[in-house]
Amino acid sequence: MGTFEALMGGFATALQPATLMWGFIGCFLGTLVGVLPGIGPALTIALLLPLTYHVPATSMFVMFAGIYYGAAYGGSTTSILLNTPGESAAVVTALEGNKMARRGRAGPALATAAIGSFVAGTIGTLALTFVAPWVVEAALAFGPAEYFSLMVLSLVAVSAVLGDSVLRGVVSLSLGLLLGLVGIDLQTGQPRFTFGQAEMLDGIEITVAVVGLFAVGEALYLAWQGRESRGAEVMKVSGSLRLSRSDWARSWKAWLRGAFYGFPIGAMPAGGAELPTLLSYYTEKKLTRHPEEFGHGAIEGVAGPEAANNAAAAGVLMPLLTLGIPTSATAAIMLSAFEGYGIQTGPQLFSQQGGLVWTLIASLYVGNVILLVLNLPLIGLWVRLLKIPPPWLYAGIIVVSMAGVFGASNSVFDIGLLFVFGLLGYTMRRFGFPAAPLIVGMILAPMAEQSMRQALIISQGEWSTFVTRPISGTLLAISLLLLVLPVWWRRRRGD
Amino acid sequence: MTPLRVALLLAAVCAVAGWQVTLIPESAIQMAVGPVLVPAVVAAALSLVTLAYGLSAWRGRQVDEASDPAAAPLPGAAGRFASLLGGGLVFMWLVVPLGFVIPATLCGMGVAHAFDARPGLKSATICGTIALAFWVVFSVWLGVGLGPALRWPF
Repeated sequence: MGTFEALMGGFATALQPATLMWGFIGCFLGTLVGVLPGIGPALTIALLLPLTYHVPATSMFVMFAGIYYGAAYGGSTTSILLNTPGESAAVVTALEGNKMARRGRAGPALATAAIGSFVAGTIGTLALTFVAPWVVEAALAFGPAEYFSLMVLSLVAVSAVLGDSVLRGVVSLSLGLLLGLVGIDLQTGQPRFTFGQAEMLDGIEITVAVVGLFAVGEALYLAWQGRESRGAEVMKVSGSLRLSRSDWARSWKAWLRGAFYGFPIGAMPAGGAELPTLLSYYTEKKLTRHPEEFGHGAIEGVAGPEAANNAAAAGVLMPLLTLGIPTSATAAIMLSAFEGYGIQTGPQLFSQQGGLVWTLIASLYVGNVILLVLNLPLIGLWVRLLKIPPPWLYAGIIVVSMAGVFGASNSVFDIGLLFVFGLLGYTMRRFGFPAAPLIVGMILAPMAEQSMRQALIISQGEWSTFVTRPISGTLLAISLLLLVLPVWWRRRRGD
Repeated sequence: MTPLRVALLLAAVCAVAGWQVTLIPESAIQMAVGPVLVPAVVAAALSLVTLAYGLSAWRGRQVDEASDPAAAPLPGAAGRFASLLGGGLVFMWLVVPLGFVIPATLCGMGVAHAFDARPGLKSATICGTIALAFWVVFSVWLGVGLGPALRWPF
């Protein structure tokens, strides 16, 4: 079946009322969590994982996709009105967006963010639609050795490229790898790092780790600082939500450039959304005809990064669906959700679960429209949410976190583990350790080990297989470069 | 807590990991890579990077937000921290005998107190409403098993 026919089939399912309803719920929830600081899409999806027992896979993933995209939309609202990004990828939006709000132009800032998100999200989804089948074709040539090397590349890229310290990134990654190995070895049945505890035999639930690190850890960090309850100024939604002709003229190119940054970088291992938003911001700063406005509320500084953010969200889905490799914490959680349904992501996903994949992709298009419609008219609601006093907001976050974890296992042990990860999250936040490498390490450790052992079985114990196979060797060489280059570059700049 | 102490903590984790690696039983199945190699390599890698981090911390090159005036904690940090963690402990202790709502309410009050809300009737009412609302959403609407809302232990 051609791509276009498959996509049309996906639309046929995505536009059914029940599926639309789940998509709407996902978009609404996603915008909500994007607006609220302290909760992100990874955490939200993790908390909703217990639903996988009750809801069909297609509906669930349509909702998750809505949450994922919605959070990218919602994060801009908090950045612009509160100068506090609701999402890490919305940090750059706050630079110019909040300045625009202070100049009485919050409306145009919100409008350009929403429209740019729609334009770039659609471009990113188009790219996903037509590029994914090519990647699947290429990935069919991948064997266990190539998968192992690709995972090594992902792990190195996540720890070496993101964050401001390669060393702390690698510490975080190593810790994640160790935690990912807790439990029974699948090939031999031997228990590892279980301390004789029956609760540890199945390993550490990724949900517990994510919720602990991001929700409890964030709450502990903010409670420790004690500044949150002082409150932040929420700007009024001033100015019309319509863009003037001049605003359109300054925004549309930034949207397109942002989209073309966002998708390819988001699709790369460790690409994420932070890097393309930064690149977009600096590009717009260089290309603008109004350089004096940058730092004081330049609309291009909102348009470009927001577009990059949303296109990157589509890009991140590509390695997840086509290769089964998660390149962000949210993608790692979605991979867990696929595993919960017994669905294997990777090249075979398109052939074995084509209906689900194309419905998911079609729902991204529909979700973009829903989000454009949701965001601007409901801006009053989102602003009210921002005014929730921090004590009740964080009480709610912790209670819902415990509900999610306790609901999944009814285990007090897991609640204890939740708070242990919370302490870890606080420590990581305070001492500058990035969390994404730890999560990706936890997910990829057992997968990488399995691939490595399978590759060695096929090669009859020959370790050179990882280097002599061309694709595998190339991927390992790139990994080595990624590890060495940032350190060399920093030393060179220091000279 | 300082970066050097974090390094010492990581070193303790490495020591425990190394000890646990020695306890992994070898497999009777013949294979190129058994269940021990990858955990041993990961534990060794963590030990190496921990050493590098420790040296860097000892030279004062590692970050600690407590020393940044813009991010340093306001007075009372230990109390706020303890209040939040205490809430979690209360939940763990009471959820089995008392059901979900009361322990979650008490936990919520602990968290709220960590963000400067006074424990009292207002806090109990708001946190109780939050706990009950989430119990209804998860347990009744979504069918996720949270146990009973209230349980009489006697």
